[in-house]
Amino acid sequence: MPPTKLNIIKHTENLREGFRSWPSLVHGVMPALGDARWNADLILATWHQAETGKPPDNGLDYQKGRSGGGFDLLHFAFLPESQWLKSSADLTLSLNRRKAGTRIDIPVPFYGAGMSYGSISEHIMLARAMAAQKWGTFTCTGEGGYPDSLVPFRKHVITQIATGLFGVYEKTIQYARLVEFKYAQGAKPGLGGHLLADKATVAVAKIRGAVPWVHLFSPFPFHSVYSVEDHKKHLDWVKIVNPEALLSVKVSTPIDVDMVAVGSYYANANILHIDGSYGGTGAAPEFAKKNIAMPIELALPKVHRSLLAEGIRDEIVIMASGGIRSAYDIAKAIALGADGCVLGTAELVALGCTRCANCERGRGCPFGLTTTDAELTQLVDPEWGAKRLDNLYTSYAWQLRDILRKLGLSSIGQLRGRTDLLRYSVNS
Amino acid sequence: MIDQVKHLIASRPRIVMDSYKKESEGGCGVIGLACAKKIAGRHLLAALSQMENRGNGKGGGIAAVGLNPQSLGVSQEILEQDYLLAIAYLDMQCKKELEARYIHPFFDLDHELQLEHLPVERFPIAPPEVVIYFVRPKAEAIADFCREHGLSSLSQFECEEEFVYRNSQNVNRAFYTVIGDKRAFVLSHGKNMLVLKMVGYGHDVITYYQLQNFEAHVWIGHHRYPTKGRVWHPGGAHPFIGLHEALVHNGDFANYYSICEYLSQRHIYPHFLTDTEVAVLLFDLLYRTYRYPLEYVIEALAPTTERDFTLLPQDKQQLFLLLQQAHMHGSPDGPWFFLIAQSLPIARAYCLIGITDTSMLRPQVFALQQGNYPIGLAASEKQAIDATLHSLAAEDAQFWSCADYYWNARGGSHTDGGAFSFSVCQGKLSCEDKFGRALYTSPLNPPNLAVPIRKESDVKYPESLPSKELSQWTITQSKSWDYSQFEAFLNTLCNNNIETKRRCALDVITTLMDSFYPMDYMRRSCIQALLQKSLSQLLENTQFSDLTLINAQGLLPEGPDSLARAIISEYRKGARKMIVFNCHGQRFIGNGLGEATQGVEIHVYGSSGDYLASGMDGAVVHVHGSTQDQVAQIMNNGTLIIHGDVGQTFMYGAKGGEAYVRGNTAGRPLINAVGNPRVVINGTCLDYLAESFMAGNPLQGGGFAIINGLHFDQQGNICDLDTPYSGSNLFSLASGGAIYIRDPRHHIVKGQLNGGEFSSLSEHDWQLILPYLEKNERHFGIPISRLLLHQGTECPFGEIYRKIMPITLKSVQDEEAWVKKNVKAL
Repeated sequence: MPPTKLNIIKHTENLREGFRSWPSLVHGVMPALGDARWNADLILATWHQAETGKPPDNGLDYQKGRSGGGFDLLHFAFLPESQWLKSSADLTLSLNRRKAGTRIDIPVPFYGAGMSYGSISEHIMLARAMAAQKWGTFTCTGEGGYPDSLVPFRKHVITQIATGLFGVYEKTIQYARLVEFKYAQGAKPGLGGHLLADKATVAVAKIRGAVPWVHLFSPFPFHSVYSVEDHKKHLDWVKIVNPEALLSVKVSTPIDVDMVAVGSYYANANILHIDGSYGGTGAAPEFAKKNIAMPIELALPKVHRSLLAEGIRDEIVIMASGGIRSAYDIAKAIALGADGCVLGTAELVALGCTRCANCERGRGCPFGLTTTDAELTQLVDPEWGAKRLDNLYTSYAWQLRDILRKLGLSSIGQLRGRTDLLRYSVNS
Repeated sequence: MIDQVKHLIASRPRIVMDSYKKESEGGCGVIGLACAKKIAGRHLLAALSQMENRGNGKGGGIAAVGLNPQSLGVSQEILEQDYLLAIAYLDMQCKKELEARYIHPFFDLDHELQLEHLPVERFPIAPPEVVIYFVRPKAEAIADFCREHGLSSLSQFECEEEFVYRNSQNVNRAFYTVIGDKRAFVLSHGKNMLVLKMVGYGHDVITYYQLQNFEAHVWIGHHRYPTKGRVWHPGGAHPFIGLHEALVHNGDFANYYSICEYLSQRHIYPHFLTDTEVAVLLFDLLYRTYRYPLEYVIEALAPTTERDFTLLPQDKQQLFLLLQQAHMHGSPDGPWFFLIAQSLPIARAYCLIGITDTSMLRPQVFALQQGNYPIGLAASEKQAIDATLHSLAAEDAQFWSCADYYWNARGGSHTDGGAFSFSVCQGKLSCEDKFGRALYTSPLNPPNLAVPIRKESDVKYPESLPSKELSQWTITQSKSWDYSQFEAFLNTLCNNNIETKRRCALDVITTLMDSFYPMDYMRRSCIQALLQKSLSQLLENTQFSDLTLINAQGLLPEGPDSLARAIISEYRKGARKMIVFNCHGQRFIGNGLGEATQGVEIHVYGSSGDYLASGMDGAVVHVHGSTQDQVAQIMNNGTLIIHGDVGQTFMYGAKGGEAYVRGNTAGRPLINAVGNPRVVINGTCLDYLAESFMAGNPLQGGGFAIINGLHFDQQGNICDLDTPYSGSNLFSLASGGAIYIRDPRHHIVKGQLNGGEFSSLSEHDWQLILPYLEKNERHFGIPISRLLLHQGTECPFGEIYRKIMPITLKSVQDEEAWVKKNVKAL
């Protein structure tokens, strides 16, 4: 066996052993793991769920982090145990609430966020797509197009059209049942996209049609869209190319996000995906993360109420992202007004991410996640990755049903906008 | 004078605003025209209906300036001398109170009229009842006003204007609040002008108030697209007024709050809480209060920056620097395009002014037709201009369906300022740029106006000639023809039942449309109008065995019943060669055919809309005319030939394919294009050429654009533009591709290359671009020998063309070569 292959096997085994053993706390909690939002408990608990399909029962806090704000200070006001429902709650989310158009239901109120080929490895894309297929939900191309291996999963892949239009062809718009326009990313709104030169390998550049080894920029706006009627025209365009597709509009959370939401509705979007400020991999600039966009927990009620006031809330789906770390975060986001959530970092953590924030370099990710390196990519076998995501989804689904039944609710839809079921408290 | 201005401002009442919270709104559709002849309102209907997709029916409005006194029941003298106070009553109950408080005490009323309208039920939100008062301020009221406010240094006329202005503000404050009671508001108060608006579309205003036959020299029309608030109100619709101005706006200010603060420091406060109102308040401040000439006003709004500033004459630089410093905080930031209709009572002139923001972020097209009654137009889309001209030409032989000139503005340009005005004065129309320079003054051949048509038998043509030769024969012959001969020729050519002959007619008409040739007695735009008419008549009444004809008439611009879907449907039924004609602004033509469409050929005639040929992947698309915005977005393969100009963001995110453009491209062509697009632009690009271009190394299969910097004059001569590229920002953030620019005079300087650098041009480069120039020659008749001509001498290509490459590309070439050699595994 060539030494490279041996190396890969050795590292893979060691990593997997680590993902198994650390959450059991036999070695204690790692002293320098994670950060306040994604603290050690949450990372280890996510590993545990990805390993076992269940939340941990050894004291690890799998519900929240220690940021001292936001979701971490929101708690559910559960009913007394005697009033808990026995039956299993319905988690189905319909992605088209308008009268017309294709009906797509997903059995869980979440799908995968856009992470491009280039920002993550092909194996990670595949793992996510396999899990999405198994669960009947979606993952998303991000702004880098389809590697060939992803095409067979296209019924469960969202084609993202972002400001650089990388990898967007009529055929990729026609592949998808769901097309997402990415106007901005909550982690770095107004900054466009950047794939640093290190990661623009020959293969990545080939799919994007660009030059390898140079920084690849997406502009901060769509230069064809400077106002709402341009936006409508943009959506009309995709409806011509693929009339069956549902349309999602991903925006960050500026102060007038409510106006953006209403504008998107009138432009015929089926889904408004609002991306708060806590998301982003280590490749997003530090100065931008958490510092520009509005936190998702503030944006959600604002948008939800604004759409209610317009009388159009029940015709558009709100998906929330940007710092959704756990099943409890999903439930809290829905209680604040979302219909469902979009998972990015949580999936990477399930696959072994420790939040070391070394994502911008092609050979920076020690776990083979946010890499474009041919060797590092081998550290994650797609089947293994898909299984871990499958387990994570299983655990999330179980927890969501558990939350609902403890609140006396029989479907996830009943939780939407129920801020009355939340309590804000510094001491949980 | 400064003291007078200070005094005037200080005399205005201070108001404490609770907030400047802006009503949210985004896009809009605008059109404006100014004509030496009064034009009836119905001629805006087609343009506004065709741009309905730029609004959402929550606000529409018009302004008319230079009116017809009969339609208002007054004499010309009253029309010109009185203030036309138009009040929108949402509650007629308050009419008496309003008149008693704000009209009768201060004004002599010469005439009052309530506008007729259709039944209210047609509209979900009842449009206001409109009462027009022709009023003259009472001398004692003005005297009291001046005394009270210490304005004795102002002239009588200035005092009156200020009084009327403030009185209207008082009316609005008393009878209309955005969040609260809405009983009445002032639509307009300028002389010889009228503004009307409602919750609806712009064309609804014309039909509701029955303005189809209402005539004016200057019109502006607007659709609004507000995006928040369940209850819309007519006061929020455009146009908004200054004193003798009405302004419509397409865009959105990022610094609305800052401008509100700036205005409040001058005791000016928005009442309807939209950025458009703020824009016109700014205009009024600069124009009427500060008494700036129009050039200064435009500079304060859309400052000349970057390289353009450095190219201004020294004295202008000093002046503009002062203006910019003084008005930096009152300069709107963000995408915007203003159209202003203005009445100049003293000069008895009526103007249409179009101003573009310095970054050119909103679409705009200007046009001018110079007939016996010259007409200037400006709109969000060229198709809207064409629709207006079509409407006029259908009724009035003084107009024809094509303009003599169409152009896009480059905001903040040092040459013309990116702002243009059309002024009607004493029956004449003049077109001027920001600096007051008259434009388009070269004489043209006479237009085709109501000349009797000769009998068809007068023109004999060699019927046996194949179409190519016949086209050439026609081009040669028509040099000495007049319009009647040309029309007679077209009639004979088309009036034939034999398919081959009709096919020949189609080919000849197409060649004539696409060609520039000298004519002694006829004018190109008039010929284009005749050709378009003949083509429509020919195609509406025929079928061809090997062509699929798609008549765009009646097909929608988007959605399931759109022209684009009709084309897709024909393609799926097997059509491969398609003729799409009578286009009137339909979008997405040629989109949605999917991958690998080699063998498909589409010919587009008429006024095509946005997103034409987007996503095309193998087809050949010929556009026999100009196109609009977002053409060939994400184009992957195939060939696009455009016999005209192109709008904004041409080939955004394109991956490949060939494109040939006879004329100019507006802003940001090739932005974010990757792969290997190959593009020949025979005119120029206004700015932001090849921003974020990432199309590899052209010598190793990457993409490039050739800019030839040429134009055709009215006689069909190929001429060099003053400069092949007047913008800056070439190759910003780009990492691949190349620009081959025809610049023998070395007009392009380093300062324009924001991210690019001049690179040496090798024989290899010439061999690369030569085949594309040869095809370009075949498409447009621009010989390579002419391209290589400089000062009368044919020069080696290296002295004519210059190559510009992104700086980054050069820096990675070594690394890329190393990777190719050493890292096979990747």
